Amino acid sequence: MSARYGLDRAIARVAPVLIVALVAAVPLLTDDRYLFKVLTFVGLNVIVVTGLALLFGYAGQISLGHAAFFGIGAYSVGYLTATRALPWLAAVAIGVALASVVGLLLSLPMLRLKGHYLAMATLAFSEILGVFFVEASAITGGNDGLRGIPFPSVGPFKIATPGASYLLVWGVAIIVVVLASNLVRTRPGRALRAVHGTELGAQACGIDTGRLRVQVFTLSAGLAGLAGALYAGVVGFVSPTTFSLEFSVLLVAMVVLGGTGSITGPVVACVALTLLPYIDALVPGLPRDAVAFLQDWEADISGIVMIGVLLFAPGGVAGMLRRSRRAGDAS
Amino acid sequence: MPEVLLRVEGLDAGYGRVPVIRGASLEVMRGEIVTIIGANGAGKSTLLKTIAGLVRPTAGNVTLEDRDVTGLAPERLVRRGLALVPEARMLFGPMSVAENLALGAHTRRSTAEVADSLKRVNSLFPVLAERSSQPASTLSGGEQQMLAIARALMSNPRVLLLDEPSLGLAPKVIADIFGVLDDLRSEGLGILLVEQDANLALKHAQRGHVMRSGHMVLSGAASELADNDDVRLIYLGAWHGKE
Repeated sequence: MSARYGLDRAIARVAPVLIVALVAAVPLLTDDRYLFKVLTFVGLNVIVVTGLALLFGYAGQISLGHAAFFGIGAYSVGYLTATRALPWLAAVAIGVALASVVGLLLSLPMLRLKGHYLAMATLAFSEILGVFFVEASAITGGNDGLRGIPFPSVGPFKIATPGASYLLVWGVAIIVVVLASNLVRTRPGRALRAVHGTELGAQACGIDTGRLRVQVFTLSAGLAGLAGALYAGVVGFVSPTTFSLEFSVLLVAMVVLGGTGSITGPVVACVALTLLPYIDALVPGLPRDAVAFLQDWEADISGIVMIGVLLFAPGGVAGMLRRSRRAGDAS
Repeated sequence: MPEVLLRVEGLDAGYGRVPVIRGASLEVMRGEIVTIIGANGAGKSTLLKTIAGLVRPTAGNVTLEDRDVTGLAPERLVRRGLALVPEARMLFGPMSVAENLALGAHTRRSTAEVADSLKRVNSLFPVLAERSSQPASTLSGGEQQMLAIARALMSNPRVLLLDEPSLGLAPKVIADIFGVLDDLRSEGLGILLVEQDANLALKHAQRGHVMRSGHMVLSGAASELADNDDVRLIYLGAWHGKE
C-alpha cells in the first residue's frame, strides 16, 4: 500500500510537469492555425471552469450566470482597447476587477439563497446582463458587437499569431489551475469543503461562512472575467451571443461531469467537452459529415453524457479516478 | 471565589416572529457543569444556539468572561473562547478525522499551540488518534460524538456548550464520554450541557435548570433538582414510583 501511495505521489508530482511540457511542445510539433484556435478556446474555458470548480465543486454554490462575468471581462477589454485605446494589460486588469466587483456586489444579497434559488438568481442576473450587452450599444456595439479589438500587447511585444495566443492563454490557465490546486489543499480550501458539508458545523468551528461564500463567488467571477478579458484580445471580436445561458449551463455541466470536490476532474471534463465539436482539429481526415454531426448535436451529446454521468458515475471523472485508486489499493 | 465564565441574562430569541425562549438567565462558573433539562421543544437547543451566536437574540445579554458578547457572530465567539458541540454532531463526513480536528482549530494561527491541543484531544480520546486518516462518516456513533467534542476543544475554549451528547449512544460509550466531561470540568472548563437524559445530566452536573415552553421554570443545585418531586415526576421517569 505504501508503494502504491509512493507511486501516486510520484504521479502527482510528475503530472503537472508533463502537462506543462505537453502544452509547450504543441507549437514545436505543429503550426496548424485551426488547432491553435481550438486549443485556445479550451484554455479559456479551463480558466472559467477552475473558478466554477471552486464555487460549485468545493463550496457547493451553483451559478448559472458565469457567462455574464465572462462577458464583462470581454466587453471591458473590447471597449477599453478598441474604443478608448487603453493599453491591453490595463484593460485586462480593469476587466477582471470589474467582473470581480460585480460578483462581489451580486453575492452579498444572494448570501441567504441556496440551491435552486441561487441558480434562479444568477440566471436572472445573466439575463439582465444579456439585455445590457445588447441595449448599451454605445459601449457594447449592441447586436453587432465590438469589432477590431487590438491583439494583446505588452510594451513592444505583440501577441498576434494563433500560436502566441495559444501560449498566452495556456500560460495563464496553468497558473490559475496550479494556484487553485494549492488553495484547496490549504486552510481556505478545507473551510470551503466544510461549508459545503454542513454550514452549521462550519459555523461552530468559527468559520465565517458568509464571508467565505462571498470570497469564493468573487474569485470565481473574477476568473470568468479574466477568461473573457483574454478572449476579447485573442479573438478580436465580441458579440452578445457568446455570453448566452447555454454557455453558462455548459460550464456547470463541465464541473458536474468532472466531479465535485476536485480541480483536475472538471479541467479534464472541460478539455473533453470543449474539444468535442472541434474533434477534426485533433483527428485530421475525419469525414466532414461526422464532424458536422458532432457540431449539430453538440448540446444533445453533452446532455446525454451528463445524464449518463449522473446516473452511473455521480462522482464524475474525479469520482472514477478515486474509485480506481481504491480498487488498486485493495488488490 | 469562583469565577463566572458565562452569564446569560433575560435572553429572548426565536425564529422569525415566533418566540422560542423567553427571559432565560443562567451562569456557568469555571470548573462547573451546568445542565439544562426539559422536554423536546422546550427551547433548550435554541438557547444554546443563541448563546453560540447562531440565532440572534431579540432581548437580553450574554457576557463571556466579563465582556458583553450579545449578538456577536459565531466565529467571533469561537475566537473569544466559546465552543459549541451541535446537536447531531454536524461533522464533516467525507473529511478525515484529522481534517475535522484541523477545522476545529480554524480560528487559531499558532501551529505549535494547535499541535498541543491535538496532543491533548488525542490523549482524551485515544481512538481518534488511531482513526486519524479515516473519513469521519466511517466512525461509530460514539466515536463521532467524541470527534465532535474533540473538534470543539481544538479551538481551546473556556466554555463548552454541549447539545444532547448522549443521544443514540450505548451506556458504556455514554459513561466514557461523560467521564471525559468530568475531567475537562475539573481542569477548569465551564460546561453548559443540554440533555434529554435528565438522570444522567443531573448526576454529572453541579447545577441545573429546568426549561418548559421557553421559560426557566426551576433552577438549583443538581442534587436538589434530582430530589425535587416535580422534576422526579416529569423528567426522571419516577412516574410509576409516585403512583
